[in-house]
Amino acid sequence: MKAVAGALAACIGVFAAFLLQQALPAIHVLHGARFLFVPMIFCYAAMALPFPTMLLAAFFTGLLSDLMYLNVVDGRVEIALGCSIVFFVIYGSIANGFRPSYLRGHWWPVIPLSVICTWSFLLMQFAMISLRREGFVFDPAILWRLFAPGLLAGLFAPILHAIVKPFSALIPETPWRTREY
Amino acid sequence: MKKLNIALLLAVIALAVYLSVLSPTAMQSLQAGFLSFLAPFLRTGTAVQEQIGSMGKGLKTLDEVEADNRKLTEVNRVLLTTNNLLREIEAENNRLRLALEYRERSVFRLMAARVIARDASTWWNTVKINRGFEDGVETDQPVLTDVGLVGKTTTVSKNESIVVLVTDETCRVAAKVEGTREQGILSGMRVQDSGSNGELQLNFLTKNAALEPGQKVYTAGISNGVFPSGILIGKVKEFRTRPLDGQAIVEPAVDISQTEDVFVVVGAK
Repeated sequence: MKAVAGALAACIGVFAAFLLQQALPAIHVLHGARFLFVPMIFCYAAMALPFPTMLLAAFFTGLLSDLMYLNVVDGRVEIALGCSIVFFVIYGSIANGFRPSYLRGHWWPVIPLSVICTWSFLLMQFAMISLRREGFVFDPAILWRLFAPGLLAGLFAPILHAIVKPFSALIPETPWRTREY
Repeated sequence: MKKLNIALLLAVIALAVYLSVLSPTAMQSLQAGFLSFLAPFLRTGTAVQEQIGSMGKGLKTLDEVEADNRKLTEVNRVLLTTNNLLREIEAENNRLRLALEYRERSVFRLMAARVIARDASTWWNTVKINRGFEDGVETDQPVLTDVGLVGKTTTVSKNESIVVLVTDETCRVAAKVEGTREQGILSGMRVQDSGSNGELQLNFLTKNAALEPGQKVYTAGISNGVFPSGILIGKVKEFRTRPLDGQAIVEPAVDISQTEDVFVVVGAK
């Protein structure tokens, strides 16, 4: 029951995060860096959900991400559909390793996980487009855009936990001691 | 790890690999379907973005507040509000009249479109417009305003299209410089300064081109190309000599961050 509700909440949360990201303008003082809530929400879901539901969330997040950012110019695809799915499956598997700790009440690993996930996601995109184009370009603005969203995600992760926790408590579940990990 | 989990993991990876080997056209079809589904949310999102964007503009320094206060005591508040409203309507009226005149005098068959969403991605410069294949829009059609070139369409869904902007690194345009025989390939930069209108780079010019700031840059209109000849792209900002060629930095004519109405070139008149 809780896993299904969790998966549904994760998918709705990810979709809402995409829309919110779309609505928020770039931050000029951070050289055009943007708020990225999706990796943070996915990390939280990956920590809180059982492995099969985490896979569903990873597939949904990756597919939406690829469809949202698919850039086809002159018949060439920069980041193929499916790449983000693989990214989120791999990262979700790592984050899911922290689930026993999360069930014992230690939610804080979501902070470093969100930061690293956001950085890795942007780095993956940057590396892929750089390899497809004329090579890597290094500019202070690129560093800001790569690293500032991760730090912002780290700041917002505790707020996400504060929002999710009361809702999570509403759905009954088996005590953690009786669970199988 | 349980066997079921391993099987599920492999199934998801296999599905991802299957998606990654789809043809670009199939991927665009999927994206077009997704775009149609997303369109109502995007339109709402744009309205929210405009509200959020205008919040910062309302913030003023204490000096400005004092100055405003002095002014406000001198002018009747009701009249000022009415006047502002009328000015806004007048500005919109002028903008639309200019756009209409441009459409009538243009040699191209133009379809008016509205920007419904500005892309929120870190690496790509695109916008979404409210015209799709049902309106006659196709992939790789130029998008412009009365001021100059905006970009070209990429993914086209039923009632929406994605336009890759001329400021994007992947949008390449054959361009010529006014008053010279210089021609080159123009493209955007990987990362544009978020506070400015952006910059373009015009490459493969001759080393001794010696372009002057302010010279206008137009589309060159190569055969079988996407962009017809003679559309204003921008003005030369700077000319650099490189070991093998010359490069001009071009300031785009269109400020896309402020542009709401565009035209899609759907053919010649």
